[in-house]
Amino acid sequence: MKAASSLLAVLLFGAVFAGIVGGYGERESVSALAEQYLAMVPRELGAPNVVTGILITYRGFDTLGEVAVLFMVAAGVGVLLGGKDTTTASEPGREPRRPSELVGNGAEITLPLIFLFGAYVIKNGHLSAGGGFQGGAVVASGTMLLMLALPATKLNHGFLGVTESLAGVVYVGIGILGLVFAAGFLDSHILPLGEFGTLISAGAIPVISALLGVKVGAELSVIIDRFRN
Amino acid sequence: MVEALFQPLNIFLLGLGGGFLIPLLYRIAKPLPALAFITALCGIAAVSGVNFWALRNGQPAIEVYTAGATPPISINLRFGAWEGFFTFCVNIAALLGAWQLWPRLRDSYAALLLYLILVMGINGMVMTRDLFNLFVFLEIVSIATYGLLGLERGPAALAASFKYIMATVIASSFLLLGSVLLYHVTGTLNIDELIARRELIAGPIGTTALIFILACLILELKPFPANGWGLDVYETAPAGIAALVSVGVSAGVFFALLKLLPLFENHLSLIAVAGGATFLFSNLVGLKQTNVQRMLGYSSIAQMGLMMLALALLQKQGAAASMPLVIGGLFANHLFAKAGLFWLAGAVQRTEVAGWSTIAGRPFVLLVFALLLVAIAGLPPFPGFWAKWELVMQLSGAQLYVWIALILLGSLLEAAYMFGWFKQATRAMPGDLPVSFTARDLLPAAGGAVLLAIGSYHAAQLAGAASLWLFSPLIIGIVLYALDWLPGRVKCCLMLLAVLGVGNWLISETTGMSGLFATVLLGGGLVVASAALYRQDSRPGYYPLMAVLLLSIATMMRAQTSLEFFFSWELITLSSYFMIAQGRHAHPHALPFLLFSLTSAFCLLAGFALADAANGTSLLQAFRTGGTDAASAFALLALGFLIKAGAIGFHVWLPGAYAEADDDLSAMLSSVVSKVAIFGLFMVTYLAIGSQVGLELAHLMGWIGMLTTVIGAALAFRQDDVKRLLAYSSMSQLGYIITAIALMSHLGWVTALYLVANHLMVKGILFLAVAGVILRCGTRRLEELGGLARRMPVTFVVAVVALVSMSGLPPLAGFGGKWLLLSAMVDKGWYGLAAAGILATLIGLLYMFRLAHALFLAPPQAAAVHVREAPMQLLLPQIVLVGAILVLSFQPKLFMDPVSTAIDPYFASTLVWEGMSLETIYGYWNPVPVMAASIAGAGVLFLIGWTVYRLDQGRTAATGIAEFYRYYIKISQPWSAPLATRAWESIARLGTVSAEATRRVYTGDGQMYVLVALFYVLFLLSANFIAGHAG
Amino acid sequence: MGLPVSTLLMTTGFLLVLIGMWGILRHRNILRIIIGFGLFDTGLHIVMVATGYITGGTAPIIDTALGIEQATTRAVDPVPSALVVTAIVIGFSVTAIMLAFAIRIHDARKTLSIDALTESKW
Repeated sequence: MKAASSLLAVLLFGAVFAGIVGGYGERESVSALAEQYLAMVPRELGAPNVVTGILITYRGFDTLGEVAVLFMVAAGVGVLLGGKDTTTASEPGREPRRPSELVGNGAEITLPLIFLFGAYVIKNGHLSAGGGFQGGAVVASGTMLLMLALPATKLNHGFLGVTESLAGVVYVGIGILGLVFAAGFLDSHILPLGEFGTLISAGAIPVISALLGVKVGAELSVIIDRFRN
Repeated sequence: MVEALFQPLNIFLLGLGGGFLIPLLYRIAKPLPALAFITALCGIAAVSGVNFWALRNGQPAIEVYTAGATPPISINLRFGAWEGFFTFCVNIAALLGAWQLWPRLRDSYAALLLYLILVMGINGMVMTRDLFNLFVFLEIVSIATYGLLGLERGPAALAASFKYIMATVIASSFLLLGSVLLYHVTGTLNIDELIARRELIAGPIGTTALIFILACLILELKPFPANGWGLDVYETAPAGIAALVSVGVSAGVFFALLKLLPLFENHLSLIAVAGGATFLFSNLVGLKQTNVQRMLGYSSIAQMGLMMLALALLQKQGAAASMPLVIGGLFANHLFAKAGLFWLAGAVQRTEVAGWSTIAGRPFVLLVFALLLVAIAGLPPFPGFWAKWELVMQLSGAQLYVWIALILLGSLLEAAYMFGWFKQATRAMPGDLPVSFTARDLLPAAGGAVLLAIGSYHAAQLAGAASLWLFSPLIIGIVLYALDWLPGRVKCCLMLLAVLGVGNWLISETTGMSGLFATVLLGGGLVVASAALYRQDSRPGYYPLMAVLLLSIATMMRAQTSLEFFFSWELITLSSYFMIAQGRHAHPHALPFLLFSLTSAFCLLAGFALADAANGTSLLQAFRTGGTDAASAFALLALGFLIKAGAIGFHVWLPGAYAEADDDLSAMLSSVVSKVAIFGLFMVTYLAIGSQVGLELAHLMGWIGMLTTVIGAALAFRQDDVKRLLAYSSMSQLGYIITAIALMSHLGWVTALYLVANHLMVKGILFLAVAGVILRCGTRRLEELGGLARRMPVTFVVAVVALVSMSGLPPLAGFGGKWLLLSAMVDKGWYGLAAAGILATLIGLLYMFRLAHALFLAPPQAAAVHVREAPMQLLLPQIVLVGAILVLSFQPKLFMDPVSTAIDPYFASTLVWEGMSLETIYGYWNPVPVMAASIAGAGVLFLIGWTVYRLDQGRTAATGIAEFYRYYIKISQPWSAPLATRAWESIARLGTVSAEATRRVYTGDGQMYVLVALFYVLFLLSANFIAGHAG
Repeated sequence: MGLPVSTLLMTTGFLLVLIGMWGILRHRNILRIIIGFGLFDTGLHIVMVATGYITGGTAPIIDTALGIEQATTRAVDPVPSALVVTAIVIGFSVTAIMLAFAIRIHDARKTLSIDALTESKW
């Protein structure tokens, strides 16, 4: 009975989606708004990567909210899983399993590269594909590998917590600077645009990108570490 | 500078900045996070409050742009009057909620930041003008909720939270998909642009996308039946969090629906249906709930359904002008009342409804509890009352009668389970463990009640009914409540003085029929109320309520519009309910009283809605002049008043309430309060004259009245409890008055008014006399009393006067009344009714004789041997009333002249009886032979009965008058089944059975909940598809 | 050449959504249900990206492959790409929270079956 109605629901949604796909025609040109973005981001924000420009400046309010979501998840997971360490750690007869040779050795070689790559992705967010979120995720994946390879590693939650908080506060602070020194909250024109296409350009976008990278990297690492226990 | 400080954007800076800072501060010093939290939360509330205030004073809406660009390039926010109202209310509730949750929040900085960002997120949902940003804020709110739900670690709470997450994630996924598809179709995410370009939203992608967005919003508002996940969380979450979900999160989602409503112009009926079904069925299932928080959950969901329904229907009718009152009123009402009840539940800490008897002895807790319940039930003076009134008026104007019926039925169900809960709290149970909570725990709930009270006046202003005189009963009530620590008799005197002074001022300008009623009822009310002086105890809350009751009667007489009338009517109902509920054994009877009163009130509401629409005005005057065809309005109004008067079929609430109320209160209810319904009948019966159907209905009403009289008398005959006997007698006497009004002639109305005055005095005397007997003898049973004629001579004399006057024996006033009634009926050609009237008079004579005999003449029983006369405080009012009877009997002109003048405007043209004085009438219709025949008839009947009784061989007991009555009561037993009671019981059972059946959809299976939610989306899609193809 | 590439992408996305939906509705194990949600989200993200595609478009990044003056004609719509970043982060967050609840639920009752989660009902 339940299986049949589940199947029916899935099939009906299949039909609804088929209707959408059927009504969909690939567009030949972008929307007027997108055209504006494509013209404005390089010219007015000085960022070659239009997506990053939109994300960090024009829809910066969304991004700030997104950061808040991640921040809350770290806190929420902390609420849920906090205080668990004592219960499981005291369980006797549970030796931490040793990682395999392959993971151990592989980690030693790739970890520096992963972190480096993360930093690269964060720093080049305004120039090429990448950005704070993506880079932060790369860094966090490095943390995960680290934990797999060296299970004994203890993350310094205090340090990470302070880092993410600071990054968040500074982010809001930069937003306020935009309110004071430029045209509005989160306006990236508080710093000079610099030379188009270079590392230090596009106003405050790289700064925010870096803050996002640090914050996301720290938060994801904390979340992953919480699940470890 | 100050302006920058209170920029609406600062809500987000405070929320996010504060949130991000909290962990940092925690590392610095442990108390700092709490400090930052309080600062930020107060700041958010202040910012919204200051801006809302400025907007109220005419400042234009504030637009907030971000990123130094204009929309649609960047995201913008708006802070207009609606946004201001919603955010301010939510933020204030959040402050109170934080106070309630403080013991939990204090210990965990994570909880602090989650709470703070949650509040900010709700503000964001309200203010943002970007569709995708709305999604982000929805997620902020959701994730913060998930995190806070994690504070409760019990298995049930975890399970409920998981189901909640599953369902809300599905819902928000549809918002995400819908927004992106809408962007694909329209090329914008800005809500204002979307609305401007809504004709682009077409084709399979556009229409589906729109439904996806609608589906998300409706699902987040927890529509029936796709809402099991929400209920589970309401049940298991900590009360403070459940309150926040119920009022805060829902407020954000509801506002999203409000601001996107122009996109849904074609889906308004769908939204109304979703809301209506939710309102009705949630309230139905609420009947079966025993868990307090789950019950509140059902009520929450129902209220959101009502708001959806109201929003959609008003928008559809283009009644934007009513929205602030209806939507704003319903919202604020739900917000503070529901949150208040959740907070109270958190403070009392009894999860089961049955456990609430533990607060029975705590007057202040009960007061807060009662106020919040009254607000939830949409009763005056709270904002929900004004909102519901306006909503029903609008719906009636648009002829949406089915919706009116649905709203009223749902409201009645809600009142039933909510006051069922209150019922538990009014009676202490032996096994109660004492609760310990401090004033600190009560503060949020009490704060909610205070805010509601403030909101009442604003809502009344919006409804155009805010005036000092209308609110004066409540103001006096509050003042007296503040003096409730004084000794009982002092309070009683203060109450009498206040009612005398303010009441006189209130009725000083009433004229005609209202003036007459005002004088009689206020005067009679004061006399009867003064009898309360015989009690020495403090009676907490009684005297303020009595003042509210009497003054509300006065305001009702002064009312010029149907709204003012209805407001006073509801106050009368409520104050009597709360006074009855204080009776020691009234516990099982107070709730039926309230429910029948509310049914009556809802009939009136619907009737006024129809009548006002037909009259084209809400002025009560129009009832007199409007010659429109208003038969249905008349039927509803008359039904409402008949229920309240205890007419046959609806009388089941009456004996219990009258008998189990405090003894002096019974006198008040029977003599004064019952006349309020009679006044209502006078006011509306004239509507019937406009059409033939109406006149038929009036004839029907005449029969209802007469049946009430006959059956009331028969039931009175059968009682062994003196107060129940009087209660049924009261029912019977009111029946005469109803019939007299239904005559629709000058003579009939004169009779009715005459009977009103007579009954008021007679029942006042009898109930007070009985109060004295009960006080001295300690029993109400007829067979345990007797021989009091010698021991309580004054009581005996006044009671006999009253009985003679009531039975219609000459020479007292009752004779004139009865006589006038018979003549009026014969005059009209209603012979059947006249015959029934004579029968009723005979039965009446029998039970009245029994009463007099059992109390005063029979041999004294144990309880009545060593008793003294009743106290002076009780006797004095009776003597005053006897004096009034004598005046009415021997100087009828004093009363008849004003009566005649009052009736002239109604029946001047169809005058049958040309203003003759009573003496002339007596002379004109020679009554003596008829009356003699009546008495002879009664005598013959009695004789036959006595003979049968003596001849019956099977009779075992000794002879005697008491035995004679018992004999007939016994043989009448088999054919006197309580049909009406059984009928109402089966209706009640039908309610609970269908509630039981309906709630089976909530299986507790999380996957089932998701499946139902998915089918709900499919339902919306298909309904839209069908509507699109049909239209 | 058959279907346009974005149609294929969109179909794939919707199929993933349906698979995820089936997983949510039919699997008893909470972890599998969470995986179902993951698939559901991922499918949605693919659909989102697909709606921004224009025929023959390229990434909206100005570099040697895409001159600044061609940007408005040759680049794909950057808005869905920007939105999807946010959506992914939110999807991740929800998954993390659900997993945390799953762990707690397992601690509380030593099972991960959703059938056990029916204390509150009616």
